[in-house]
Amino acid sequence: MQLSYFRRVAAGGAVAALAFAGVAAFTATPAYAATSKVSVVHGIPDTPVDVYVNGKKTLDNFKPGDVAGPLNLEEGDYDIALTKPGEPIGSAILKVDNAAVPGGANISIAAHLDAAGKPKITPFVNDVSKVDAGKARLIVRHTAAAPEVDVRAGGTPVFKGLTNPNEAKGDVDAGTVKADVVLAGTDTVAIGPADLNLKEGTATIVYAIVYAIGSAEGKTLDVVAQTITGLHSAPGGVPSGDGGQAGTGVNTWWYVLTGAGVLLLLGGGVRMATARTGRQ
Amino acid sequence: MTVRNRGALAAMAAGVAALTVAALVACGSQPTESVGAEEASTLASTPPAAASAPSVPVTAGELPADAETIPPVRLVIPEINVTATVNAVGVNERTNEFEVPPGVNQIGWYRYGPGLETAAGSVVIAGHVDSAKQGKGAFFRLRELDQGDTLTATGSDGKARRYRVVAREEYAKTKIPLDRYFARDGKPRLTLITCGGPFDAKARKYRDNIVVTAVPA
Repeated sequence: MQLSYFRRVAAGGAVAALAFAGVAAFTATPAYAATSKVSVVHGIPDTPVDVYVNGKKTLDNFKPGDVAGPLNLEEGDYDIALTKPGEPIGSAILKVDNAAVPGGANISIAAHLDAAGKPKITPFVNDVSKVDAGKARLIVRHTAAAPEVDVRAGGTPVFKGLTNPNEAKGDVDAGTVKADVVLAGTDTVAIGPADLNLKEGTATIVYAIVYAIGSAEGKTLDVVAQTITGLHSAPGGVPSGDGGQAGTGVNTWWYVLTGAGVLLLLGGGVRMATARTGRQ
Repeated sequence: MTVRNRGALAAMAAGVAALTVAALVACGSQPTESVGAEEASTLASTPPAAASAPSVPVTAGELPADAETIPPVRLVIPEINVTATVNAVGVNERTNEFEVPPGVNQIGWYRYGPGLETAAGSVVIAGHVDSAKQGKGAFFRLRELDQGDTLTATGSDGKARRYRVVAREEYAKTKIPLDRYFARDGKPRLTLITCGGPFDAKARKYRDNIVVTAVPA
């Protein structure tokens, strides 16, 4: 893993918090790509829910730590509501009206706690641009009732000062890295360490969440992960020979030989001809 | 017959001989014709997805596990007398190009793509056609492969898998559709790549890539 590169990316502040309106503003909407891929991430502890989209039950008994989707949603405005399993939509515990879903985007909607521990819904636009050959994308989203954190890889901070509900991301060498999350500027581990298997050509999105309330420390932080595949690129080329023995082009010397052959034929012919006429 | 005449005849004979040799060489150096290009591109196309199920897929948001990939470790192509060790390779950090093993008798499997277990996509193996220092490479005669020829790739699991050649194509390196050969979707297939075509002695580079596509036999 190229830590220096990783740090640069983090320092560059590839951090974005997007309101629903912001999502629309951020995403180009080509006419031919009207549907968006929408995933739903459950990061509210101890609270299974039913998810309603435009009044229709879309997810039944959706459990904390689960990821649903992707759903293909037409571009447009959506009402999203979460209820306790089996309860009517009228008694929703959390809802967002007129959420704008742009066309042609890849979005994750996270139901999670804000820094103060209050449930909320945050949409994130997923960066699904291609990664270079050999690379993987790591996206970390702070969706836990916790203060500012640093994300470390192999003990070195790579994303610093991440706050709820923001994200940090970077393209890194594919492979496995030991990562943990610490309270910002400290060595106090909040999550992990865990082995992150960053597969080439994918984006691994890690959500820091509060997993369970009521443990000894009051709350336990954990992660929910979402993976997006198919972001790979082919290598730039396949250089596989510098000897020239298999070259199929015609070497210059063969052209010289051809020229010599033509000259000899012509010269010989002319001499024969002049010799004959000379004898007459 | 005069001396003058004999000299002229000899000159003409030499001329004919020179032309014949040059013509033979020229014919022999014609680039190999591509065969099966259409089959190869059909393999790469993905069938339209089946109508999506009404229910939304839900997965536990666990960290991704190590994928169980079966790397090829040995490749045998009887037709062109190849038995080569396969190394798992990636891309060169500096050039972003396929890291073909430097030893010309070794060939490289693109470890970021699928392995032999795959149900979809292209397993890519590349090898040197030759090298200035080491001479002929494992894939020196790759361009001689033809449709119907068979080859055997053995995986790290010890299992030998047979493949049948369906296409042999030659592309200028500037035009080769690499995305198709490094695709992770489409029918499962084995793609062998080496260099070929005219050689630029100054740049020490071949102009073209030779690509052989094979499917499970």
